[in-house]
Amino acid sequence: MIGKLIRTDFMKIRRKGIWFLAILGPFGVVALQMVNYGLRKDWFIQQDTFSWFYYVRNVSAFTPFALILGIVILASFMASIENETNAWKQLIALPVSKWSVYLSKYTTIGLLLVFATCLLTVFSLGFGVLLGLGGEIPYLDLIRYCFYPLFAALPILGLQLWIALVFQNQGFPITIGVFGVIMSYMAYFLPDWLIWKWPSLDNQWDEPLLNVCMGLVVGLGIYLFGMLDFIRRDVK
Amino acid sequence: MFSLLQSEWFKLRKSNVIYILFAGPLIGLLIGLLGNDNVFPDEVNQWGGSLLMMNLTYALLFLPLITGVLAATVCRYEHQAGGWKQLLSLPVTRGKVFITKYLLLIFLVLAIQLLYLGSVFSVGVIHGYTDSFPMDIVWKSILGGWIATFPLVALQLWMSLLFKSFAAPFAVNVIFTLPTILAINSEKFGAYYPWAQPVLMMNVGEDSNNVFFIPWEQLITVVGGSFLLFFIGGYIYFRQKAV
Repeated sequence: MIGKLIRTDFMKIRRKGIWFLAILGPFGVVALQMVNYGLRKDWFIQQDTFSWFYYVRNVSAFTPFALILGIVILASFMASIENETNAWKQLIALPVSKWSVYLSKYTTIGLLLVFATCLLTVFSLGFGVLLGLGGEIPYLDLIRYCFYPLFAALPILGLQLWIALVFQNQGFPITIGVFGVIMSYMAYFLPDWLIWKWPSLDNQWDEPLLNVCMGLVVGLGIYLFGMLDFIRRDVK
Repeated sequence: MFSLLQSEWFKLRKSNVIYILFAGPLIGLLIGLLGNDNVFPDEVNQWGGSLLMMNLTYALLFLPLITGVLAATVCRYEHQAGGWKQLLSLPVTRGKVFITKYLLLIFLVLAIQLLYLGSVFSVGVIHGYTDSFPMDIVWKSILGGWIATFPLVALQLWMSLLFKSFAAPFAVNVIFTLPTILAINSEKFGAYYPWAQPVLMMNVGEDSNNVFFIPWEQLITVVGGSFLLFFIGGYIYFRQKAV
């Protein structure tokens, strides 16, 4: 049942520019580094930071914004498909359970984000090779710094999807999303327990894996909370 | 025209826009209180240091992004259940509807700017600043930032008329706003990038002889030029839009 639901969700997003955004996001993150390295290549060489190690970290500096903004847009979009056409009643009237509808939306966004993250890995690898960075290519490091933020951002995905589905007026989830982006922009100043800090992979123990674990655990918690609330609510 | 504004105001009052307006000062307070302002030397006016830090994040990301949310909110009522048909079947011209919505939007942005000014003041009071409040600088950056959003508001109104959902105009907004992070680092490019103007206008600069923090030529060509482009584009689009 869940497979079919996910397939219909993917059908609903066809020709709406969602795939374009999923490609544009990772491209944008790497494009910012193209500008960065295009303008300051000599400076990096001078500072002795023209290497894969610093390149991977430079790329991942912008990943949180793109990721959070992507989550905000996708979550609001997934909710507005049914909101706009008042199709919630029709969807729920089908022989599907409400939890599977919620899970399907969550999974669809998750798959799109995984797709975008894979692209991010490929794009950053490609541009890194093109730049001719010194040393061996640290494949593991590259994959880690692309995928860790995704797992660390799962609580934000849970939160945004929940509020996007609960509020009729999409202005609220998007405003809260903007709030989250600003918070992640100031991640350095934030206390470790705020979920918007986690995608930056920064914490006082300097252990990125901790953010990933927290992201998975708290992400599951927020997901369950949102789903139970969604089941409980009346369909408008 | 006046009655149109009035009816827009009534519609807006029921749309809970007030919560969105208060996000601005809240963000300002957060940045001001969380951020560390001890990095500035003692000679710098304490308010100046706080302003510099708060304005950067606020004008770089928040202000351009929130204009899109406001624009979509203003059009939300009509996008639902054939509201455009009802509104446009009244004895009003489409041009007037467009201009009214635009005026309402820039009024809302002004309200956000003034609320933000309040939060700047609150941050200072909480920190216990003793320096005199730099009235002219605050005035310049609050009003300057407001004027710099005029073209952004025009484009977002256009996009919100074009798309029914909130997410699509917001996506367009994000695509143009994120490059600002890089644009402001480049003297050549930043000056010509419309989305970088709010942060350039609000950024407390050295030269205080001008009325605003950017030269007049830049204000007129970049802000004025992009305003005309987006406003006329949106206006023409709306006149031909099939409802």
